[in-house]
Amino acid sequence: MIKLGPGNLRIPKFEKPVYIVAAGQTDFRKKYPEKTTEELCIEAFSMAALENDLKVSLSELKRMVNFCVYSQFADHFGDQLLAASKIHDALGFDPLGNIEVKTGGATGGHSVLAGALAVASGYANCVPVVGFERMDEVPTRQGNAYIASAACKNFESELGWMYTAYYALMAQRYQYEHKVPRETLAKIAVKNHGYAVSSPFSQNPMRITVEDVLENTLVSDPLSFLECCVMSTGAAVLILADEETAYTITDQPIRLTAICSGTHTLRTADRRPMEVLRLPHEPEDLYKNYQHDWPGFSSFLAARMAAYLAYHMAGIKNPVEDLDILETHDAFTISDIQTYEDIGLRPYGRGREFIDSGECYHGGKLPTNLSGGLIGSMHAVGATGIFQINEIFWQLQQKWAKFHADPRMWERYGKTKPADFENLQVKNARRGAAISHAGTGSHVTMAILEKV
Amino acid sequence: MSIELTQPGCELLSAQPVVIKNVKNYFHIHTYGGLSPFFAGLREGKLLGTRCGNASCEEQRIFLPPRTHCPDCLSPSVWVEAPTVGEIYTHTEILYPGAGFKLTTPCPLISVSLEGVCTKMMSYLKEGQPRIGMKIKAVFNMEHPTHTILDLAWVPA
Ligand SMILES: [Zn+2]
Repeated sequence: MIKLGPGNLRIPKFEKPVYIVAAGQTDFRKKYPEKTTEELCIEAFSMAALENDLKVSLSELKRMVNFCVYSQFADHFGDQLLAASKIHDALGFDPLGNIEVKTGGATGGHSVLAGALAVASGYANCVPVVGFERMDEVPTRQGNAYIASAACKNFESELGWMYTAYYALMAQRYQYEHKVPRETLAKIAVKNHGYAVSSPFSQNPMRITVEDVLENTLVSDPLSFLECCVMSTGAAVLILADEETAYTITDQPIRLTAICSGTHTLRTADRRPMEVLRLPHEPEDLYKNYQHDWPGFSSFLAARMAAYLAYHMAGIKNPVEDLDILETHDAFTISDIQTYEDIGLRPYGRGREFIDSGECYHGGKLPTNLSGGLIGSMHAVGATGIFQINEIFWQLQQKWAKFHADPRMWERYGKTKPADFENLQVKNARRGAAISHAGTGSHVTMAILEKV
Repeated sequence: MSIELTQPGCELLSAQPVVIKNVKNYFHIHTYGGLSPFFAGLREGKLLGTRCGNASCEEQRIFLPPRTHCPDCLSPSVWVEAPTVGEIYTHTEILYPGAGFKLTTPCPLISVSLEGVCTKMMSYLKEGQPRIGMKIKAVFNMEHPTHTILDLAWVPA
């Protein structure tokens, strides 16, 4: 039994408000031999500096920077230790201080957290957060083995060398406890592949049906290929600043009102049952008759912890009511349903209702993964958490169309804007959230962004 | 005297951009350290878990996978034999494993629930079709051990 003390549940606070002032990214591809990782990061940083209507030039912006954060999941993939040093040099930031953050799939989210801590404390006042991953040097099977080396090498990795199998164990248990229909899981894959169609950045856009997903080849029962995230190469950058610096750089900064982190055992096996940690909007007796172990294999304590802290920190009383847009870490359809419950969109066991109600779609109450997510758009791991926040940032600035609808954006990546393109800008979006997630829930961050 | 190559160079996969094949072939020397009794136990057909060595610790159940120290009070653990009969907590089938997987596929992957054990270790079902709640017993690969977690498997009880 894990027992949390009052110190453990203290709500984090920033000494100074933290703002996001600019965002940039590359497109994401299965293979990207045309560009080195440094070129990808330069491209993403240049988009942030030059295409966000900033009031300062690229050179002026660079001279304002006093600390950098780099985000890369696995040195294995890029086969270059200290890659951040090459990128820092390529971006011309020497001799400024930097750190590289590593928390698996949640590296992007934690890198933004690290940058936010620097700004919030006054340690720095302008911090680029640069995320990248080069996953195209090895065949997919070797890539899966590399990813599974982020499971316990003594007791788990050998059992499949495949994270999908570890998630499938959770999926089967979730199905046994809560009986979510396969159709509901399939709808998530259909939605996210579908939204990816309207993104020039996306790697795996598809117009598919629920039947296509149900008939698709299984990777690990019950998860099919169409229900799993892509493996990508690409980069994403965002720039954080304190209030004074933010308004020097842009007239439209977006406030990062919270970014909070939670963790749980790397091995799903080790998760001992405990009392449900309730979110601000969950009544005291909500889980009085809950029949199953919590978190068990059906829930992510790390996500619940991150949401608990972030909602309190940002003053979110009820996520579905108070948020206008959301990006989840949809590594697999099943983990998306689990996350809906962990972050309180529905009580435990009822996550499917968030999909079935239609709230998750564009035009619904809380559109989710309009970027196409990890299933449809990208999972260049170190870039992922930053990409998600970038997409929310542009949505809150009402600039989604600028980065997605302009035919020249598509031409830039050798693509043609599709005839069935949809405008996915959420009208009057004021508040958004993004979830970054590692392992089978070993690390999770939740970021909350708010229009000023 | 001139300096010469002692090994073959890299294969050129593409001329523009220049893409080469960088072949790797190396090993790691890995220790199980304080967890060694578990892996030594598998060779003798024993399933060893750990219990907190501190009698006043709130967690007195067995950990399996074992831990050298209790995560709650950090006291050194004591080794105990875990039950070798239990049930399937959840399962899946590995169809497309990652590189380096040493078992045949499709391979039923399971999580095991054991009486008195507070964790649900991952393993595989060597025979039969898995279902949640199915009674199973441990079997050990003692003849040609791999010295990995693959030396433990389960069959219907
Ligand atoms: Zn103890």
